[in-house]
Amino acid sequence: MLKRFRSLFRLLRSRQAFEDGMSDELRFHLEELAADLMRSGVPLPEARRRARIELGGMNSIKGECRQSRGLHIVDECLRELRYAARLLRKSPWFTVTALLTLALCLGANLTIFAVIDAVLLRPLPFPNDGRLVTIFNSYPKAGVQRDGSSLTNYYERRGQIPAFSSLAIYRYGTALVGDAGATQREQINWVSPDFFATLERGPVLGRVFAEGETTYKSDGVAILSDTFWRRQLAANPRVVGSQIRVDGVSKTIVGVLPADFRFLSSEAQLYLPLSSGPEQRVPIQRHSGGNSTQMIARLKSGATIEQAQLQLDAQNARLELDDPQAKMMADAGFRSLVVPLHADHVASIRPTLLLLQAGVSALLLIGVVNLANLLLVRANARAKESAVRRALGASAGHILSEILVETSVLTLFGGLLGLIVAAAGIRLISLFGADRLPLGSQIEFDARLALAAVLSALLLGLVLAAPIAWFNSRGSLLLAIQSESRGGTASRSVQRVRHGFIVAQIALAFVLLAGAGLLGLSLDHASRVSPGFNLGHILTGQISLPSQSYPTSSIALAFAERLTEHISSYPGVLAVGLVNNMPFSGRAPKSSATAKGYVRKPGESPRGIYSYGVAGDYFNAMGFFLRAGRFLRAADSRRTERVCVIDEDFARYYWPNQSALGHQLFQGSEEGPDSEAFTVVGVVGRVQQAGLTAEEAQGAVYYPYFFRPDNDMFVVIRSRQPPESLATALRQFVRQINPDLPVSDIRSMDIRISDSLAVRRSPVLLAAIFSVIALLLTAIGTYGVLSYAVAQRRREIGLRMALGAQPQQIRRQFLSLAFRLLACGTVIGVVGASLAGRAMQTVLFHVPGVSLPTLAGTALVIGTVSLLACLLPSHRAARISPLEALNN
Amino acid sequence: MRKNAELLPGTLDMLILKAVSLKPLHGYGVLQRIRQISGDALDIPQGSLYPALYRLEHQDLIAAEWGQSDNNRKAKYYTLTIAGRRRLREETAGWNRLASAIAAALNTTSEEI
Repeated sequence: MLKRFRSLFRLLRSRQAFEDGMSDELRFHLEELAADLMRSGVPLPEARRRARIELGGMNSIKGECRQSRGLHIVDECLRELRYAARLLRKSPWFTVTALLTLALCLGANLTIFAVIDAVLLRPLPFPNDGRLVTIFNSYPKAGVQRDGSSLTNYYERRGQIPAFSSLAIYRYGTALVGDAGATQREQINWVSPDFFATLERGPVLGRVFAEGETTYKSDGVAILSDTFWRRQLAANPRVVGSQIRVDGVSKTIVGVLPADFRFLSSEAQLYLPLSSGPEQRVPIQRHSGGNSTQMIARLKSGATIEQAQLQLDAQNARLELDDPQAKMMADAGFRSLVVPLHADHVASIRPTLLLLQAGVSALLLIGVVNLANLLLVRANARAKESAVRRALGASAGHILSEILVETSVLTLFGGLLGLIVAAAGIRLISLFGADRLPLGSQIEFDARLALAAVLSALLLGLVLAAPIAWFNSRGSLLLAIQSESRGGTASRSVQRVRHGFIVAQIALAFVLLAGAGLLGLSLDHASRVSPGFNLGHILTGQISLPSQSYPTSSIALAFAERLTEHISSYPGVLAVGLVNNMPFSGRAPKSSATAKGYVRKPGESPRGIYSYGVAGDYFNAMGFFLRAGRFLRAADSRRTERVCVIDEDFARYYWPNQSALGHQLFQGSEEGPDSEAFTVVGVVGRVQQAGLTAEEAQGAVYYPYFFRPDNDMFVVIRSRQPPESLATALRQFVRQINPDLPVSDIRSMDIRISDSLAVRRSPVLLAAIFSVIALLLTAIGTYGVLSYAVAQRRREIGLRMALGAQPQQIRRQFLSLAFRLLACGTVIGVVGASLAGRAMQTVLFHVPGVSLPTLAGTALVIGTVSLLACLLPSHRAARISPLEALNN
Repeated sequence: MRKNAELLPGTLDMLILKAVSLKPLHGYGVLQRIRQISGDALDIPQGSLYPALYRLEHQDLIAAEWGQSDNNRKAKYYTLTIAGRRRLREETAGWNRLASAIAAALNTTSEEI
């Protein structure tokens, strides 16, 4: 079999040589034969004549020879391709419409497929990635859905959960890398030694971290990412053993990771050991995960997540027996959850992606229905031709293969154009900020996409051929030939199918448009949410103080004070403040605070509270609303008397119906000595810490920076002039104090808020694009089918008008047909949109799945567009001249 | 009695293989050779010779090569391949079995039943 294919392939390449050789060979035969005849005395002309007779028909012999070589199949295909190309060239409008439809529909589908493939489908780049899980602590009743895992969790669980073959813990962050004067802020991943063993992938050069390298004294080692190794060290193969400075401390490079090592969405350039002291591994630290440390584990082969969960629950229950915090944690609904790593990482984006996939599928369906309808119209117009050809002996299979070749040529070209559209679409999506999606930076145009395009194009070719084949197989030849010649109308069943297609198209477009409307409405609602402070000219930036140079809170405070002092003297600056965690920074860790004298009722869960340490004039810089008392001042960090500011949620919960001013509270989950109590001196409005659409806030407390220090801090500057103009000044001021300290993530607050909505905005934009295409397709489809109906009934209309029918009657007849189709489509569309809306509920914000205004608006748009599409053909129908129509 | 015997279906391939097994031949040569070795008893319909040659070449039973004819003209010569030789052996054996069986059947007299 293979041999024959190879022989066929060789021949295809040298087809001309084959033909020439065959002619030569046969000519040689004729001449030899003639020569023999001449030798027996026949004169030359007669000998040639006889030789030709004896050999037989030259063309039929050649044909048989070609057939012997399997060439006839190729010839037939080429012939049909030529036929298809001729047909498509003959009707350029149809071809262009069809190709554009296919290009847009397939392009949109391929784009979304590229995203889904990168984010949801492609396995993580680790062996048996399905066995990788992540484990996090959850305190749902305290409003904390996930809180990472603690070092204590890690040391208690290691080797103790039989369902896991390996377990590791890691922490994302940044550090200053490089020698003094040439430092750069790099993404870092601090990991436990078994991190690489858990992933079952490790360095290509050197080794992984050793078990002993996890204390502060022994952690002077580093593993490089491939990118960092190439960028900073010129891919030096002897780099293992050399030194690198991280936050001013020298580390020995022990390994280099492979180029395709990618842990989830991490851009970490350096891997360092996650070191800890014994005091960080004790039971009292068990619940100190705080989302910055995360746990991963690998399931043993054969073990299930359910088994792991049971074993973990059992261990937690055992440990709680002698845990003083156990009661409070139980009240907070504490549980450690085991979930698949990949699914968990992309969980937030999954519903949106699936929604978009549903949207583009609907779009594709509209396109296919549209094309099927246009093809049916064409097939109808060619019914007579194909009937005649069949009557003359063309086999049904032959005509079917012709249809298949034609639709496949169309869809394959459409698929190729679709790939171009997809390439543009992927570019567009990355402009929307796709690399900020989980695994989003891996969205790319690759061979898988091209393969998907070709396969779907071929499949579409088959699907599109089906209705035409059905159309052609119907009814008798005689009828087809006669009906056309008499100028009758198409049979009812074909007409019904065409009308059904239009109804389906309208209904699908309706669902798509209504869905896009719901998303748009959600975005609108979300962007109307007040962030909880006065917007204006606010510039923000992030600074991370290396703990080696800033070991104590007074040193860090001195830095903060100098910086605010410097910046406030800059012209145009109204207020400057620093905070450990800013709204819209993408982080929203919660901790606890205890109101003095407050006794929790039985079953009442502790509350997750946003805790801030603020320096300078943070409140005025942000433009917070003061509800009572006063804001914190820069001097509050220097006073021995401890004061704090709370937000209105906190005040209302703990001191309802009274002023919160003068009351006291403690940091942490327990009351402490009176000397550590903070007195409430002010109440401020609630701010949207975790984004505009977050609704889980349970209160916030603002402490002077000195009492809640943090090496990560955000600078907030309110100014008269546009915030961007201050960016350079901000960098310079920081550099003046510490030349090695970069400022990262400099953005105005407006941009920050707008960026936080990107996850909602991009789907809306995409859905809007899809809806516009869908509307366009529906308009084309409706127009096409209606104008065909008019063209087909010219004679009937002409006759009726000759007998006295008014143009309005004719117009009304066609418009009423359009209305009927529109009404059917709308009714089905409303049902579909309601179902779709219900399914979309999770991604909607403050919008009901079934929203009457959206449905009404959609109906209005669809109605207008499809009626406009119908007006022209109906108008044309009414202007048909009886004489002309009947003469034709 | 007729001068030329009708060619049985399926025997043309066998005869071509036999003809080229003796010596590389061009198409016209194959025709002459078959006539010659059958003592002019077998006449091949010339129209079906070339499709048969192309079929056998496609099946890799014979190989073709351009060469010079006796009168110094360019001609395509066919030779037997190893697969062709095996096939010829099988077909010959099969044919002989069939022929002797048919001969035995046709020579049967009533006493032998």
